[in-house]
Amino acid sequence: MSALAPLVLPPKPRGRWKPWLGLAVVLLITAVTLSPQWGIAFSFDAIVRNWQNGADKVLALLRPDWTFFPRTIPPLVETLQMAVIATFVGAVVSLPLSLWAARLTNPNRYTRGVVKTVLNAVRSIPDLLYASVLVAMVGVGALPGIIALVLFNVGIIVKMVSESIEVNDAGPLEAGRAAGGSQLQINRAIALTDAWPAFVNQTLYVLELNVRASTVLGLVGAGGLGLLIDAVRTFYRYDQLSLIILEILVVVVVIDSVSAAIRRRLV
Amino acid sequence: MTALISSPPAPRALVLPAKPSSRGRLTAAVVVTVIVIVAFWSVDINWARLGSLPGEIVRYLWLMFANPNWDKIGEALLQTWRSVQMAWVGTVIGLVISLPLSFLAARGFAPAPARGALRLLFSVIRAVPEIIIAIAILSVTGLTPLTGALALAVNSVGTLGKWGYEAIEGVDPGPLEAVRAAGGSTPEVIRWGVWPQAMPDFISFWLYRFEINVRASAILGLIGVGGIGDMLTSYTQYREWSTVGMLLLVVVVATMSIDAVSGALRRRITEGASVRELDR
Repeated sequence: MSALAPLVLPPKPRGRWKPWLGLAVVLLITAVTLSPQWGIAFSFDAIVRNWQNGADKVLALLRPDWTFFPRTIPPLVETLQMAVIATFVGAVVSLPLSLWAARLTNPNRYTRGVVKTVLNAVRSIPDLLYASVLVAMVGVGALPGIIALVLFNVGIIVKMVSESIEVNDAGPLEAGRAAGGSQLQINRAIALTDAWPAFVNQTLYVLELNVRASTVLGLVGAGGLGLLIDAVRTFYRYDQLSLIILEILVVVVVIDSVSAAIRRRLV
Repeated sequence: MTALISSPPAPRALVLPAKPSSRGRLTAAVVVTVIVIVAFWSVDINWARLGSLPGEIVRYLWLMFANPNWDKIGEALLQTWRSVQMAWVGTVIGLVISLPLSFLAARGFAPAPARGALRLLFSVIRAVPEIIIAIAILSVTGLTPLTGALALAVNSVGTLGKWGYEAIEGVDPGPLEAVRAAGGSTPEVIRWGVWPQAMPDFISFWLYRFEINVRASAILGLIGVGGIGDMLTSYTQYREWSTVGMLLLVVVVATMSIDAVSGALRRRITEGASVRELDR
């Protein structure tokens, strides 16, 4: 029987310093962003100093002013109208654009690139910034809010739907081409049927986002509940703000669960 | 002989399969159409203005982007940096708070009541837009970037907490059992069983949430907490369109470059090194 070989531990894996380096970089950036000279000057001092004059207002959030309820109904309805209209218009605009942005349904690399680049740029501006610029352009009201939401929706729907078209089976499309279909006919008869569930799914998802977003668009003058939030916050009526937040919660939860139920049946 | 030749079967009448029932689809279509028509019909918009709208928007786009005013680029970059700082601090505070909470909300690490309460908290937070959180806390913290960072932190806890417990519940239970069988305590199970599996997901969630926070921090400027959003609203109100155009370009470029860097990091972390990199 041969002597047992001495126990040799395998070498430790290399690169164990890498996580620590990552952590050090994160801590360094955090230190810089918190420093008073270059950063946002995190100070507990200010919080403690302001605590007395602010705390009772924040506590008012726990006591909603129910008598305010009747006044919140018309803005709430306007919020929902904006969300529905924007979702509809956004969906109608996105359907052809999604087919245009996917490789399988638009073999032309240049038009595809143009659509994708423009939409990437459109997507990187948040909805409220659109709204604040549009309010200055077309005036106060629901219209700038709807346009802002549409821009925001088109960016999302086209990205998601065109990505789902990319992963669809290319076989049926090739069959369509072999049968002599033009690209338009193939898209209309085959790609559209395949992409339909993804499209409806994304549209419902966007409706959820729109309900959430349209509640605050009014802060910049674009109609809906946000106008009321702005009025209430100028007078520090946090008891009324609290009621509005509760309403937003209820509406968002209801719309989310309805839409989630429909989407589960769909997929 | 005749027995061998069977007569050809009489051709049966061609029966089409029954059409799939379209009642459900029809109802859905009718309901959706009614909702949309009611919304369009009842909303308070002066539709007559819609005709002149495209022309006006093109005119404004021309004012903004034909000749962007680059004089204020220095201040714009400074304010962008401030917005990004808000996003960063918000993400860091959010992840520090949400990491333990997501373990408490995951099945197998905490009692059921705590789990239910935390999950409810996460979904309530996620339903409230961050700008409203900022308004709610600004009477304590004032109109400073700190308010923005704290609002983003609160909102981040909602999403990071939810993604976190889902990731923890999704890990392979084998390694956890192995650690437990070797005598490991719960912290050791978390460190050596859960963390190595869930870490890539967590880091990628944090980076993704940072991308979201960069966008959101630009929005928070609208209520006056500083940053690029604040500057944008001021110049929109002065109607200095060429400066507004420049600011929008800055927002687009800054957001897209941060997304690109963070997206590349996320792919590297979740998918691992590519074959070419391992070769070196």
